[in-house]
Amino acid sequence: MRQPIGYPSFFVTVTFLAAVLSVCSGCDELYPEVVVTNTIDEHILIRNISFNGCKWDETLAFEESSSPGRCLAGSDRIHFQRFNPKTYCEEQVEDETIDGLCFCNEEDKPAEDPMDTGLINEEPMWFNYQTLKTYDVSGGFHLFELTLENMEQDFSVPGPYGH
Amino acid sequence: MMNTLIFLLFFHIQAATNEPPSDDSAPAKTGPEIIMEVESPEESAQNTEETSEDKKSPIKTDGLVLPEVTVEGEKAPGQDDTADATHVSGDKLRDSPRGSTLEAISQETADVYVSGRGSGVHGVSNGASGAIHVRGLGGSPNAQVLVVEDGVPDVQGIFGHPLPDAYVPFLIGEVRVVKGGDSTLYGSNALGGVILIENRWRLREGFEIENDAAYGSFQSTKETLSLLGRWGDWDLASAFHYYRTDGHRDNAGGYNMVGATGVRWRILPDLKLTLKDKVIHLEGEDPGPATHPNTGHWYDVWRNNLSLRLDYRQKWFDFRTLSYLNVGVHRLYDGFYSEDYTAGLSTEADIHPHKTLDLLVGLSATWIEGEVLDRLAQVDDDDDEEEDVKGLANYAFYNQLTWKPLKSLSFVVGSRELYSTKYGFALLYKGGAKWEFYEGLSLRSRITRNFRQPTLRELYLPFPTSNPDLKPEYSLNWDAGFGLDYRHVEFSFSTYRTQAENMIKYFGSWPSAEVVNIDEIVIWGVEGRFGLKELGPVNMFVTGNWQDVGRYTKQNPDAKVNFTVEAAHDFGEHRLSGSVSGEWVHGLYMENYSREPIDNVFFMDATLRYRYEPSDKDFQLEPYLLLRNILDLRYEYIENYPMPGFNVMAGLKVRI
Repeated sequence: MRQPIGYPSFFVTVTFLAAVLSVCSGCDELYPEVVVTNTIDEHILIRNISFNGCKWDETLAFEESSSPGRCLAGSDRIHFQRFNPKTYCEEQVEDETIDGLCFCNEEDKPAEDPMDTGLINEEPMWFNYQTLKTYDVSGGFHLFELTLENMEQDFSVPGPYGH
Repeated sequence: MMNTLIFLLFFHIQAATNEPPSDDSAPAKTGPEIIMEVESPEESAQNTEETSEDKKSPIKTDGLVLPEVTVEGEKAPGQDDTADATHVSGDKLRDSPRGSTLEAISQETADVYVSGRGSGVHGVSNGASGAIHVRGLGGSPNAQVLVVEDGVPDVQGIFGHPLPDAYVPFLIGEVRVVKGGDSTLYGSNALGGVILIENRWRLREGFEIENDAAYGSFQSTKETLSLLGRWGDWDLASAFHYYRTDGHRDNAGGYNMVGATGVRWRILPDLKLTLKDKVIHLEGEDPGPATHPNTGHWYDVWRNNLSLRLDYRQKWFDFRTLSYLNVGVHRLYDGFYSEDYTAGLSTEADIHPHKTLDLLVGLSATWIEGEVLDRLAQVDDDDDEEEDVKGLANYAFYNQLTWKPLKSLSFVVGSRELYSTKYGFALLYKGGAKWEFYEGLSLRSRITRNFRQPTLRELYLPFPTSNPDLKPEYSLNWDAGFGLDYRHVEFSFSTYRTQAENMIKYFGSWPSAEVVNIDEIVIWGVEGRFGLKELGPVNMFVTGNWQDVGRYTKQNPDAKVNFTVEAAHDFGEHRLSGSVSGEWVHGLYMENYSREPIDNVFFMDATLRYRYEPSDKDFQLEPYLLLRNILDLRYEYIENYPMPGFNVMAGLKVRI
């Protein structure tokens, strides 16, 4: 004859599982939360920002911040791609690749060169950069500001030229 | 399949005229050892068969009804006693805190190294883990260690290696790791080692259902449901496993589904027909290095393994025939699409002409074929770019003679005459001896010549490069050791030498990568295990391995140590158990020539289990807790793929 489960065992099981599930839910809190802010320059955009396992798929304009990301505990530099739209626009105007865009003042226009049109590049170039400083995180909330003084080119990954 | 059906018909006709064999007609040598213990019917109710069974009538004595006795622990067919092998029970794998079955196996023996990259899913293609090394061979390519499940070699047609996520322990009865490989018995790919997985069947009439549901860190969810049944002449072993996780970092999540069904028809007491099918669906992403993570590097894998097996057992011989088909479809984010299959047929007879002799002879054939497309590099609007892949076929005759002049002394010799449609004839062989000279004490030694043919990927696919002129790899592995298993003490020690020629290695990276045969490597090593058993409620063991891998250090560590301390205590119907285990890996490099060293790996896991099993009913309730990396240490097997910090998985196992 089958009998119901003993109440003490049932109580122990339910209590155990409830306690454990609470612990499980709290485990993620052990991982540090990281936010990255672009304070490089008002003309600089950054994207593909990553730090120790975190990757942000957003593009940040000047003084914009990423969403908080749960990263791994440990040390890493912040890696990102940098683009200067001001310089890009100037180059495109210079190369006359965009109809309707021109220099405001004729004197700003550079002297005519026998330019090889094959070198004209209309693609925006996002260059790989990383911070000079290595950050170590082990829980808690961290806000890192990217600055012009704390960055260098990152040659550990292929750049926009593919090498 | 045809020969299986013909054989089935033949013996079905014979069954009408032949008397069933009497008890004393059981094979003298390969028969299982029978250990009868008086137990109440309740105690035996949960028994399940590990590898095979014999059935006897219920026995009554002194008013106590003994249950039907089912004999377990039979030696696997054709097993080589002289091989250095580690046995791991299915229960141990199911209770392991490690993230995958292969990692749980590596926890039990230090000369098996399995890499990991996260919480529970190894994945495929770039960034995948789960590479298996045995005594310096294996890994990359992951085709030098063969996994054989219920007699079926698990080889993905194009890639030539097993799928690490395909092994989930819900139906496993036992795993046997044969170190040093054995191409004589298992053919290509058994170069450095063989992992033999034997699944279980229910032993007694009736059904049992086990459900294991768990939830844990990183939103990880696991659900496993298994059903074992036995009724009349039929057996059923079926299970469904689902695991999903967000992963411990961005894009490290994945999903793994495995469904397995086995049906066995016991046509006669000595004749069995088994049909098995296993479906695997795997999805996930390569998260990339932690410093430069990837987005959208996904994979999607479907595989199906189907097998049909016929076993016939008689006084003087056992006969087995097996047909199998392993089909897979792989899709990757970069447009890679492949369909592949491995088909095989084997027939073997285990003949016992004399009580001291056992002769195994067999024939086998294997076909490997595949098709690969680059779906993004379309030649025109209608056609995908298809790689030119030529299939491979192997045919072999193999034999193994075991001679036991004394009960304590075994000699084994064997050979395999293999013909490959691409590489021609190859002779593989082995010889070994084992002397159990005193109770619990043994000495053994063995030498094997093994073989691996290049994979279709290495030969033909430019991912990242290929070389159709590659030659097959050969290894000559020798080992010797002694063992002690006496009362509470278990000790073993082995020394080994692995010599491999024509090793296939990748060098460089795309677009200047190349894959070539290198000359020869020699690896020396020692491996040992020390355990203390049943010291009150406590068991503990430590296993260690050291090896000199020479120049080819990529993901091939110098040393590894694993330890486990476990304890259990029964309080009537209640049982409390727990364990602490750990792994230390030293001398790990990301590249050959000792380049790009990785810090030593060290971590510890713990488990805690409470089981309630009322004595008056077939019911079991077991909440459990898996605590991984309890010291919250930072470590990684693969450079820039850090493993998770402290994490938890809690589950509830119910068996009725």
